[in-house]
Amino acid sequence: MRFPLLGAALLTTAAILALLGPALAPYDPKLVTGMPLLPPDRAHLLGTNDIGQDVLSEWLWAARASLLVAALITALSTILSWSVGMVAGVWRQAEGPLMALADLLLAIPSLLLYLLVVTLIGPSQRHVALTLGLLSWPAFARIVRAQVIAIRGRTHIESARALGATAYRIAWVHVFPGTVGLLPAKIVLTVRFAIFAEATLAFLGLGDPSIQSWGAMLGWAFAYPLLFAGRAWLWWALPPALSIVLVVLATTWLATGLEAVAEQRPS
Amino acid sequence: MARLIGRYLALAVAVVLLNFLLPRLLPGDPLAAAAPDGISPATSTLTVQARVQLRAYYHLDQPLFGQLLSYLNDLAHGNLGWSISQAAPARDLVGERLPWTLGLLVTALIVSSVAGSLLGLLAAWRGGQLDQTVLTLSSGLAAMPEFLTAIALLLGFAVALRWFPLHGGQTVFASDPGRNPDWPHALVDVAWHLTLPALTLVLATSAAFVLVARGAVRSVLTETYLTTARAKGLSETQVASRHAAPNALLPVMTLFGLRLGQVLGGAIVVERVFAVPGLGLLAYQSIAARDYPVLQAVFLLGSLGVPTVNFGLELAYRRLERRVG
Repeated sequence: MRFPLLGAALLTTAAILALLGPALAPYDPKLVTGMPLLPPDRAHLLGTNDIGQDVLSEWLWAARASLLVAALITALSTILSWSVGMVAGVWRQAEGPLMALADLLLAIPSLLLYLLVVTLIGPSQRHVALTLGLLSWPAFARIVRAQVIAIRGRTHIESARALGATAYRIAWVHVFPGTVGLLPAKIVLTVRFAIFAEATLAFLGLGDPSIQSWGAMLGWAFAYPLLFAGRAWLWWALPPALSIVLVVLATTWLATGLEAVAEQRPS
Repeated sequence: MARLIGRYLALAVAVVLLNFLLPRLLPGDPLAAAAPDGISPATSTLTVQARVQLRAYYHLDQPLFGQLLSYLNDLAHGNLGWSISQAAPARDLVGERLPWTLGLLVTALIVSSVAGSLLGLLAAWRGGQLDQTVLTLSSGLAAMPEFLTAIALLLGFAVALRWFPLHGGQTVFASDPGRNPDWPHALVDVAWHLTLPALTLVLATSAAFVLVARGAVRSVLTETYLTTARAKGLSETQVASRHAAPNALLPVMTLFGLRLGQVLGGAIVVERVFAVPGLGLLAYQSIAARDYPVLQAVFLLGSLGVPTVNFGLELAYRRLERRVG
């Protein structure tokens, strides 16, 4: 039980950082405020990067960018998963084409597709969020659809239909609540995916050049040829890297906790 | 069987269509004067007449269906277009990079599926402290994005310990005709260069195999046929390997196919970090240069290759299933 609580605490901290980060940042992260690659001292708690920007300020602003894009992707992907899954489960004419589309997207190596799309439409934080959100729904759409199909054969649906309820009402009032139990798993998995994918795209140089996320910080740091020649990576590359790992670990821990709770509940 | 083939054929057609349509459906025009990136800086100086000529040369003035026909015609002749950033056909660029990625992927997948499944088996069989340790370790590894694992390995084994090279796929000039290396040495050299990249992929992928094999074996731990096997006087090792382990075979094979696409994605990252001259690095370089034809060729190859392997796996899977059932 310790790990899920720790996960929740870490995620709360990250969320607070994302909200207050820009207010806490000692400098404007875009301004040059010192010599390049200064090691941490009192003026720059995490030192400076290759062009003399304050790394701590960058890291705080990046927390907001990383978590915001993760939240956007998760919201978009969740809404799409549920819409497609519900429609495919309830409305049989739509089932074939929708599931064929889901299968197609599942069969293509996802990172390649993201790379191609983001390169073609141009990298910006909005495009990255849209691409990842619009292309990551298929797996859970299938799961939601399976759940809908399981529910739609139950007797209370039949009674509702006999009472003359419209298909829309049945779907919304009687079927939808039965799928809500899948929501925590979807959210946790998608937050994890979003942080991973955004960081990977930013690392590969497909992030928004004007917005610093943790992945983008790493991308810039790694593009600096002498990163490992000195000790600069300790204060420049390590903080964003650890942040990404911790947020992903925290979501994983939270997920196992939620699973345990769900298993204890009598079904 | 016919349905299976039909499904994969439909998938292949859809992938080819997607590859054709994606750049055309997404906003932007390669010859627009004010396009934000790509080859457009050069096109902004073109006269209207030159632009019309270019449009005709690339068949962009034809209706979409006409473009599709000429695209399919080119594809049938193995013509994937010319690279924008390098003076070579995209097909040749992809072809010379393919063996690197293929070698890396196959090695990593085989090692991680075998090692991961064995570890998962052992954890499920022994239980207790070992099980907990393996579980914690694998969920920790699954939380590491590939690029971070890659950087960590690079720092530890190449920068600090200097056991492995920092980058590249082989020692520069080693394959120089003048020096004429014998092939065993060349092979060892390549293996030495690819150890860390492959290890990164193995670490990123094996966690899933651990969990799946562990789950499959755990679910049969209390089955009576295991008690029967023990009552027959078989040793624990025999019970584990002959009666418990085969249950993990099908889920592990399924996962093998599912992981292929993800490992290909991981290869892009890993090749970038270690500068392995494979498809992933080519994709990365093409992104930087906005080299659409090459990027599309990589996409086409990857998104046709992964389902093809999955098709083969599914055939094997059916045979196995018949034998098991």
